[in-house]
Amino acid sequence: MLQDYLTAQKANFKDHTELRAQVNTNKRVTMLAGNMVANMQTVKGGVSARVYRGGTYGFASGAEYTPESVKSVLAAATQNAIFMDTNIKKGEPPLPSLAGAPAKMELKKPIFEDIPQSILIDYARALDEMICTKYKKISSRTIIADALYKEKLLAVSDGTDNHMFQPRAMVYVFLTMETNDGVPVELLKSFSQVGRFDEFFTDPRTLEEDLDSLYKALNEKSEGVYANAGLRQCVLHPDLAGMLSHEAVGHTVEADLVLGGSVAGPALNKQVASELVSMTDFAHTAFGEPCPLPVYVDDEGTLAEDAALIKDGVLVGYMHNRESARHFGVKPQGNARAFEFSDEPLIRMRNTVIHPGKDKLEDLIAGVDDGYYLVKTSNGQADSTGEFMFGIDLGYEIKNGKLGKAIRETTISGVAFEMLKTVDMISDDMAWEISGFCGKKQAMTTGMGGPALRCKMNIGGR
Amino acid sequence: MKDIAQYALEQLKKAGADKASCRATKGRKDEFNIEANQFTLLRTVFTDDLHLKALVGGRKGVTIINKLDRSSIDEAVKSCVALAKSAEPDSAEDISPLLENKDFNTYSGSDMEGLFSRSKEYLQQVRDELPKIMIEGFSSSYSSGETAYVNSNGVCFTAKNDYYHFNSMFVGKEGEKGSSFNYSGAYLKDMSKPLINAGMHRQLLEEAEKSIHTRMVEEKFTGKIIVTPACSDVLWNTLMQNFLGDRCLIEGTSRWKDSLGQTVADKKLTFRATPHNTLIVTDPHFTADGFLVHDVDFIKDGVLKSFALSLYGANKTGKPHAPTSNYNIEVATGDTPLAEMLKGVDRGILLNRFSGGSPGASGDISGVAKNSFLIENGQVTDALQETMISFNILESLKNITAISKEAVTEGVTVLPWCCLDGVTVSGK
Repeated sequence: MLQDYLTAQKANFKDHTELRAQVNTNKRVTMLAGNMVANMQTVKGGVSARVYRGGTYGFASGAEYTPESVKSVLAAATQNAIFMDTNIKKGEPPLPSLAGAPAKMELKKPIFEDIPQSILIDYARALDEMICTKYKKISSRTIIADALYKEKLLAVSDGTDNHMFQPRAMVYVFLTMETNDGVPVELLKSFSQVGRFDEFFTDPRTLEEDLDSLYKALNEKSEGVYANAGLRQCVLHPDLAGMLSHEAVGHTVEADLVLGGSVAGPALNKQVASELVSMTDFAHTAFGEPCPLPVYVDDEGTLAEDAALIKDGVLVGYMHNRESARHFGVKPQGNARAFEFSDEPLIRMRNTVIHPGKDKLEDLIAGVDDGYYLVKTSNGQADSTGEFMFGIDLGYEIKNGKLGKAIRETTISGVAFEMLKTVDMISDDMAWEISGFCGKKQAMTTGMGGPALRCKMNIGGR
Repeated sequence: MKDIAQYALEQLKKAGADKASCRATKGRKDEFNIEANQFTLLRTVFTDDLHLKALVGGRKGVTIINKLDRSSIDEAVKSCVALAKSAEPDSAEDISPLLENKDFNTYSGSDMEGLFSRSKEYLQQVRDELPKIMIEGFSSSYSSGETAYVNSNGVCFTAKNDYYHFNSMFVGKEGEKGSSFNYSGAYLKDMSKPLINAGMHRQLLEEAEKSIHTRMVEEKFTGKIIVTPACSDVLWNTLMQNFLGDRCLIEGTSRWKDSLGQTVADKKLTFRATPHNTLIVTDPHFTADGFLVHDVDFIKDGVLKSFALSLYGANKTGKPHAPTSNYNIEVATGDTPLAEMLKGVDRGILLNRFSGGSPGASGDISGVAKNSFLIENGQVTDALQETMISFNILESLKNITAISKEAVTEGVTVLPWCCLDGVTVSGK
């Protein structure tokens, strides 16, 4: 557990200052076609300081974490802040105070003992064996067992000090099969949980039902057809709604990107979606349940609250850090987060979700004459214009309200605030996804989710 | 660094490693940040890194930490050997043999004043010359460091180097209308020239201004695309990942796995890794697995000459090892001037950025043409909106109609413009 060498330095804070000590530990085992190609542990930790003066920041970090190194990192950050203030001369006043916030947030989740690597190795090996024995038609497979723990200590000149521990355990399974004409097709299934790896991943047979479905889908995909390119009515599986909320909308309503010219700038308080659509970036609790990646205090010492983004189709807010909140005249809600000790906090999403509706998934599909049911996405990217794209790994034709043939890999695209206006049905269930990393200068773990949606989108194909 | 790496290596051997390697790095990075056309941050990061690999009876363990003191090294050594002991044996695991040890020094010293001054100049030039451009995010940095690689076969390399880097993400803006974002940057050895003139940067900024007003392709057609050097991912990185690299060949999913010596592309295509090209700034003197880097032809005159396999990948697949830097890719220039290449396109797309799904092993690619322009009757006309392209990369390599005489570098790659036929283009 990290010792607190930070609080003692508070007496030396002159301007708005954040001191953060952090250790990220990652264990990973990769089995590629039965070969253990990765068996590694990465531990990266240290201390950083960020100082705000006159409208710009100075930041410094170092790997050593001792009372002396904290002092020298703070001095280096202060020196950088002075350099910027002297040379840029923005002349901004100090950041508004967070008066009234609790002084300290104690550890919410107890820090557990590190687990031996053999737990990941044994699990990956057993899972590989089960897959090989059971799924005869696959031509290859990759299994990744991964455990990531982040521990942070934060001391701020103004706001809430924090001690945080966040463990994430993941298993990825990639299956490959060949089509009749020898072309390889692949599918990925990720399983992610918050906690110790061996709390969730002990017996690979617990994944059997999901892997049976994956194998069935891969068989269907191996006989898949190319999608017919163009604008089509689509039903998005709940797994895609998370990507939609994160990529297509979430990034455009991060206040730094709004200031940089995103389409959401002039859209505030305007109808940007069907009245069925509401969307929130939840801090730590959503719909009465804990979020998969809860944030209680951000890395600027702001107590985290939910950020309402779209309400009944109207864009009602952005996500902020303390500086952008001042610019827009609103209260910061705890979105400034850093991934490693050497990263400065940026405006990041936390648990970004489209709210569930009242319809049933089968009814969404039944109402489509000629379209697609899109089930799995590989990746996604959004644009400042709101134009977005998702890679589609698995989808099916819908003909006269019934599922048809699987389709080959393709891409869908749309303009978020136009596409969301075409949403005419939303399912009453929802799925969370926490397995990936968001990339915005730094990596970041984020939660995202939502229900199934029916809408119109542009689909690639032939 | 050599002493630290040697110490860690000795400890690995003492702890029971039959074979071991260690890479130790000490570095520093200073970085200016700009957001929304305003300076926001000066960041100083001290970057220590220790990468240990131990083999015990053919079983591998890898431990990576960011500390270089002896007590941290001793802990990491214990962890690394324990990892190896708990792994499965794999006869393909090995370390590089002793061939020739070398020390490299390309360090030229910091010019932070120059970096700050060039960064300010960049922002001013954008404001003055490209008034419709909004810089969403910009960073400029100077990085320096020393690295040592040693292994238990007696291999020892050291390198001391430094470089400057900048990256800018920008949009064209006019009132409430805006272009798609684009990004571009470069690695530079010194601060002798304005940043805005590096690689294709100025051209991409100018094109962002021209992309505020866009046109939608309203039908589907099959045509040509000209892939610019700014859009390297869609072709060249896909080849490395899906057809030439370790994973796809070990899994057997590469559709080129049995094609060595065969024609896989139009004869105009020569595709290679050239870390020794003098235009490369990042100085990759030796590989992560302990070999001096060499220039390697992957495809020469359309014929597959080599895969991009590491030592492990080569041992595992029985195919030849390619000790090179897979990032420093170069496509040989052709004999068609860019202007003439454009004239040869009746209907197609000038592709500056591609936003698409991760291409699978089949080679099928589909996605959105971003920051791209329609070409009609040999002329670049309108900026495109919501236009998708789909093609199979393996088929398209056989349909290369021209490669430009001109090439561009951003300090890591050297790439020309490349024209492919048979691409499906579809709008709304």
